[in-house]
Amino acid sequence: MSSFRPSRLRRLPLHAGAALTVLVCLFPVYWMITTALKPSRDIQSSEPHLVPHAWTLEHFRTAVDAPGFAQFWRNSLLVTAGAVLLSLVVALAAAFAVARMRWRGRRQFVLAVFIAQMAPWESLIIPVYIIARDTDMLDRLTTLTLVYFMITLPFTVIVLRGFIATIPPELEEAAQVDGCTRPGAFRRVALPLLAPGLMATSLFGFITAWNEFAYANFLIIKNQDQRTLPVWLSSFQNTFGTDWGATMAASTLFALPALAVFLLLQRHVTSGLASGAVKG
Amino acid sequence: MKFRLLAGASSSLLLLTTLLTACSSGSGSGGSDGDGDSELTVWLMRDSVSAAFQKEFTDAFTAAHPDIHLTVQIQEWDGIGQKVTAALASNDAPDVIEVGNTQVAQYAQSGGLVDLTGKKADLGGGTWLKGLAEPGAWEGKQYGIPYYAANRVVVYRKDLFQRAGVDPAAIRTRQQWITATRKLNTGDQQGIYLTGQTWYALAGFIWDEGGDLAVRDGGTWKGALDTPEALAGMRFYKELQALGKGPKDADEANPPQAEVMAGGKVAQIISVPGGANVIAQHNPRLKGKLGFFPVPGKTADKPGAVFTGGSDLVVPAASRHQDAAYTFIKELTGDTWQKKLALAMSYVPNKTSLASAVASDPGAATMAVGAAEGRATPNTPGWAAVEAENPIKDYMTAALTGRDMRQAAAKASAEITRAMNTAS
Amino acid sequence: MPTTEERTRPRSRPAPAPAPASRRRDGGRAHGRSGPWPYLLVAPTVLGMAYLLLYPLARAVLISFQDFRLRQLISGDAHFVGLANYRALLTDPRFWTVVRRTFLFMAVNVVLIMVIALLVALMTERLGRVWRGLVLSSLVLAWAMPVVAATTVFQWLFHSEFGIVNWTLTSLGAHSFERYPWFAHGTAAFVILVVLVVWQSVPFAAITLYSALTTVPAELQESARLDGAGAFRILRSVTLPLIRPIVMLVLCLEVIWTFKAFVQIWVMTKGGPGDATTILPVYAVQTALSQQRYDLGSAASMITVVLMSGVLVLYFRQMFRQEDER
Repeated sequence: MSSFRPSRLRRLPLHAGAALTVLVCLFPVYWMITTALKPSRDIQSSEPHLVPHAWTLEHFRTAVDAPGFAQFWRNSLLVTAGAVLLSLVVALAAAFAVARMRWRGRRQFVLAVFIAQMAPWESLIIPVYIIARDTDMLDRLTTLTLVYFMITLPFTVIVLRGFIATIPPELEEAAQVDGCTRPGAFRRVALPLLAPGLMATSLFGFITAWNEFAYANFLIIKNQDQRTLPVWLSSFQNTFGTDWGATMAASTLFALPALAVFLLLQRHVTSGLASGAVKG
Repeated sequence: MKFRLLAGASSSLLLLTTLLTACSSGSGSGGSDGDGDSELTVWLMRDSVSAAFQKEFTDAFTAAHPDIHLTVQIQEWDGIGQKVTAALASNDAPDVIEVGNTQVAQYAQSGGLVDLTGKKADLGGGTWLKGLAEPGAWEGKQYGIPYYAANRVVVYRKDLFQRAGVDPAAIRTRQQWITATRKLNTGDQQGIYLTGQTWYALAGFIWDEGGDLAVRDGGTWKGALDTPEALAGMRFYKELQALGKGPKDADEANPPQAEVMAGGKVAQIISVPGGANVIAQHNPRLKGKLGFFPVPGKTADKPGAVFTGGSDLVVPAASRHQDAAYTFIKELTGDTWQKKLALAMSYVPNKTSLASAVASDPGAATMAVGAAEGRATPNTPGWAAVEAENPIKDYMTAALTGRDMRQAAAKASAEITRAMNTAS
Repeated sequence: MPTTEERTRPRSRPAPAPAPASRRRDGGRAHGRSGPWPYLLVAPTVLGMAYLLLYPLARAVLISFQDFRLRQLISGDAHFVGLANYRALLTDPRFWTVVRRTFLFMAVNVVLIMVIALLVALMTERLGRVWRGLVLSSLVLAWAMPVVAATTVFQWLFHSEFGIVNWTLTSLGAHSFERYPWFAHGTAAFVILVVLVVWQSVPFAAITLYSALTTVPAELQESARLDGAGAFRILRSVTLPLIRPIVMLVLCLEVIWTFKAFVQIWVMTKGGPGDATTILPVYAVQTALSQQRYDLGSAASMITVVLMSGVLVLYFRQMFRQEDER
């Protein structure tokens, strides 16, 4: 016991730091959720309350009742899932080639992928629009899916490459000795080890595609059935201004899938990022 | 397709259709689905019409024109400029788009709109509101058809005015307005909730002084916020703004000023009359306690100049159903529906001859008084760029937070000049 | 676990080996240099990048050499104007102010992100199980919050009339903050955006750095401690060098991401007040989409990419040195 006390004292600053980190990280999240649950009158109060005095589900009702609610969700899920899966498959192949094989042009390829990270997507919107228009691809979810796929692809390749590099090739070689083909060895031995890495990168892609507004606004024009969630988020602004309560309620619903998935996979994500990135 | 469409059309449409298909039949493939009927797509802005009005109109329109399948799509305000741009440049644009009156010029100049000059007489263009018709025209041609207008009035709390012993009818000049507002601004009650960046209101004060936002100087436009007249307008704004707790660094939309007034501690706001409905909706106890008076002028003989806000309807050149589009425009901007719309939404109808239609609505009637002094922003494609960047808002915030007004005005004027002349 | 493997590998990595040795090692990895396999595997990525990235990029470059406005977007008959757009930008003093501000914004953000993330990572590593889980979960929650939602909340927190920040500061006795208009002052708005970007970026950096720290063998730190090194000394000469590659990667990504920070600024201030928070991507979008000068906007983006590559050249050189070692 006597040795416990001083160590506890010594750890006080550490725990204070941890508490501060938790507070700073969570406060905006907390504020979003409680604002969504406050009656409008309390939101526009010059004496904000940390804990809502009155609770209401009115804003959530407004958000859910917005026309096309289910459609928006369906579209966003389709586009996001499509973009993430596509980039995972494509990136996995490329990452494998980069991490496990020696070939002419490998270095240039890695450099190109890195440079692709810097693509000025805000300014590519006009050329992408023109290309889509001239190939009759406007107003289609496929176009959005492809754009989001491309935005997330470079990051996915870079991180997966690091992941694969951490898996000792000897493991696969052993499996090959036991009679597996090379792809078979990769699938049975390396792929399970890669699971955390795949999750970490797919979450990154998920967040990117889930949030994107500019392309969704510009490329989906007349076919309103193809609009995505970020457009729905902006629908609580009218001529008289922004409905804060409804916007916060919508934001909460909007953030929920990402928050839930992240929390569930937290351990995998953290361990995954570590091993993936160490090899740079 | 042309044959079936003609066969189904009424005789009055016959001529028109032949006229229009002459230039649009080449791209008419999109209309081939749906048995030769026109799939008419119309973009209206969020809350520009109520759901009830939209339904009533759509039903009546469909009954009168069974060959036109009308789809009204409500557009969001966020990112609307980009959306309209994308629509105009596409191969299959919506057929009618509601566009803010100050935005028409830039789209017209780009060649993306159909010239409707020839339809002016048919639509009764002689009595159109100037504030809508003039910005809808570009280089002598009419592209935007006046849809509805709204201008700001003062929305006030009758009970608070009474308690303070202020008679709103007696407020005829700005000086009287300041005196009254000062009286109302006591304790935690705000005399007026005026946000720092309500630039439409500032524009009115500047016009009253004889100034303007920008002036034409030879061939180019120049920002004019630093003229003595414009500075006088800003000084008045500052004096008024101080009689309440409006945030100096935000506009009236963040948070919506109507919701702030619904909180119960605000005696006046400057708003379109429709704002009163929002207030009552958020705080039913204020129902019947809200009144209107026109923004007071510099002198008692006329009300203050106000910015005529509103919308025009345009037909994109890329529309595949321009004939049906015109039918729609003719209905919605015609006298019958204009009267209904003005009453339903507290708007000023698009023709001066219809002004009496809203006499029964106190808000709209008050607005009509101000509309006589309605003004518009400079009619040039470059103005849209000014609104998009809005140096005026920054200037107002700077002036209100104690920065040197003259210097800030000069800076903002330079930015207006730059924006108007860089933009297309 | 890959992490346990990682623990020993960096130590045992051979120094740049002579060619025959490295070939032998490749040979061990089966089908080394030969065969079409690697090309087939990267083909989808290459094709995707060519059509979905390079092609639009080439079109953007083309636009930057043309007179391209709304009229040309609609009718498609743009003509070339040579370097006129670049000349217009490069001779505009406003543009250079924006460039300087972009670098300032990037530098301030990246330094803050890296320092805070490293501190949080070091702290997390020393925490007990419960606290560690708590901190990691909160970081993950903050990370997962949609950018638009986070930005909206921050805007609301700093609202001059109804924001909780002003209320808290005033309650704490700082009366000058009563109804303080944060977005009226360039510096204040800039600071809020920095806070927002740092808040959003630290989770990724901290979690990644923390996971890197877990791969550092405890024995090394222990032996350094036995040699009498202080905590700071251990950090500087043992821990940091070991996680250097990952620090560099995070640094590089953060440079790219903050250089490209757009949504936060656009939603919160649109680059205002004045130009106080206008950085290059905001400038490019403002020019392209608000003024419909797509030509100038494209040119501005191209300059941005060039400047960004300049910053990252150092990183690439280091990356290739590392590549050579493998």
